[in-house]
This record gives sequence, structure tokens and C-alpha cells, in this order.
Amino acid sequence: MFLTNKPTASRVAMVHVQDPRVRWNVRAAQVLRIVPAADWRAAPPIDVLAALAPAPAPHDDTLRVIIVRCAGGHETALVAGGPISVADVESGDVLPLPIELARTALEISAIIVAADASLSLLLDPLAIATPDAALREEPCPSRS
Amino acid sequence: MRSFVPITIDATWIAVDIATVREIGGPLTWIALPTASAALPGVTAWRGRAIAVADLAALLGAGPRLASPTARVRTLYLQQGSSTLAVPVDTVREPLVVPDEDVRAPRSRNDAFCTGELDVEGHTTLVVDLGVLLEGHRPAAASVPH
Repeated sequence: MFLTNKPTASRVAMVHVQDPRVRWNVRAAQVLRIVPAADWRAAPPIDVLAALAPAPAPHDDTLRVIIVRCAGGHETALVAGGPISVADVESGDVLPLPIELARTALEISAIIVAADASLSLLLDPLAIATPDAALREEPCPSRS
Repeated sequence: MRSFVPITIDATWIAVDIATVREIGGPLTWIALPTASAALPGVTAWRGRAIAVADLAALLGAGPRLASPTARVRTLYLQQGSSTLAVPVDTVREPLVVPDEDVRAPRSRNDAFCTGELDVEGHTTLVVDLGVLLEGHRPAAASVPH
């Protein structure tokens, strides 16, 4: 966690994954738990970056999955293709995707600009699990 | 008279309406989206908001496609209606003003976004209207109500 004297109301806790393909985040409030992949017995975990490149092969048995709450309160496991950390980000550094990308990037709700100006994606678990439902419930791309 | 900013990507010369150019910058920092189209492969931050990155090389078959996080040495920021696009390019040439009759119908391409053709510094130069490109990427009003 960062130490700050800024109002905490303007900060959002994120679970951050340093996936070598693209760094991504999910709001901590949407994360139910993080478990070893071997312990996840339900439906196969989802690799949200699969379209970019295959998930990196784990060097050992430490591959983890992030269990998130999706539409209807169901649980979905997301492949964490890299180290996981938790940090607060300024809400002003969360930039909603432009409308031109809303049709092709349903599962991404925003980008996050880090202090060093690097970028990462903010995933929307509702859209990952049920893209159609996400459109119905959150019609605007500015849903962060 | 019409005013353009000529740009190059690889060996391809392209002209964009100068009225759409908001800024010319250096190399772009951007991030790829997993399910994006080849034309709009990713997103970047510009003036406090996220904007789409347009890959003209992919659209025109002009050189290698963009691969995050690298881009080209220059970036054009183009305003199309309410949308802004970041367009990585190799070079940006001097703006030019040409008579309307110097802009002819495109002979080398029939893409909707190629609206004309003119000669710049001895090179056949495509006039590209990225507004046409964006029309295909905006969600239909019925599916994205506000």
C-alpha cells in the first residue's frame, strides 16, 4: 500500500497482476479470494489476455487464479499470469475507455496511469463472465 | 483550397486534413487491448483521458503493425468529432495548402477511408479520413443507450 495524506475517498484499491503480456488490474472489492490454480476445481480459469498471446508457462506450481464476483454473484477464476500485488490508485488515474473501443474491448473498462506514466488495464469481471449482461447493466463505457 | 499535413509510414505517404490535427508528439506509450481490432489495436492516455490508438500501417498494409509498447517516432493526435485518435507515424512533413482540383479520386485504393489522392514532393499521397474509420467502431445507438 502507498502511504499518502490525500483523502482516501479518491483512492481505489486494486489487485494488480504483472502479466508479461500486459499488466492488468481488477478492483479489490470485486475479488473474492486468490488461490493456487491447483486448488480451483470449478470451471477452467479464464485467461483474459489469451487473444494477445498464450499465457506464460509457470516455472513451478505457484500459478494462482483470482476469483472474482461476476454477474449474478457467480464466481469466475482469472488466470494470474504474473506476480500479484495490491495497491491503491487515485481515481483520477483511472481513465475510462473511449467509446470507439467499447465494442471490441468489452472486458476492459479503463486504463490506469501509473506515477511513471506506464499504463495497465482495468478489467470488468461482469463483462468477462457475461458480456451481454454487462452491456445491459452498464451501457456507458465510462463505467469506472 | 484544402490544407493537409502529409505523413509517412514506412514508404507510404498519407495526408490528413490539417483541421483534425490537435497535436504532433513524439513516440507513444500505449497498451494493447486483448480483443481489439487491427485498426484500433490499443489505447493511450492523452490530456487526462483515454484515447484509441489507430494503426494506419495495419489499415493500409504499410509496414509492420504496431506492437505494444513500442510505436513509431512521431504521433499525430487527431480530432474526429467527439473522438480523438493517436496515430503513430514515421515522419511528419510540412503542412501544405493545395487547390481543390489537385485532389483527385484515389486510384490506388478503394477503401472508404481513402477519400482522395494528391502528389506531395513527387510521391502519390493518400488522403485519409479517419472519421470514416471511426464510424465502424462506434457502438450502435440502440445497443449503447445513455
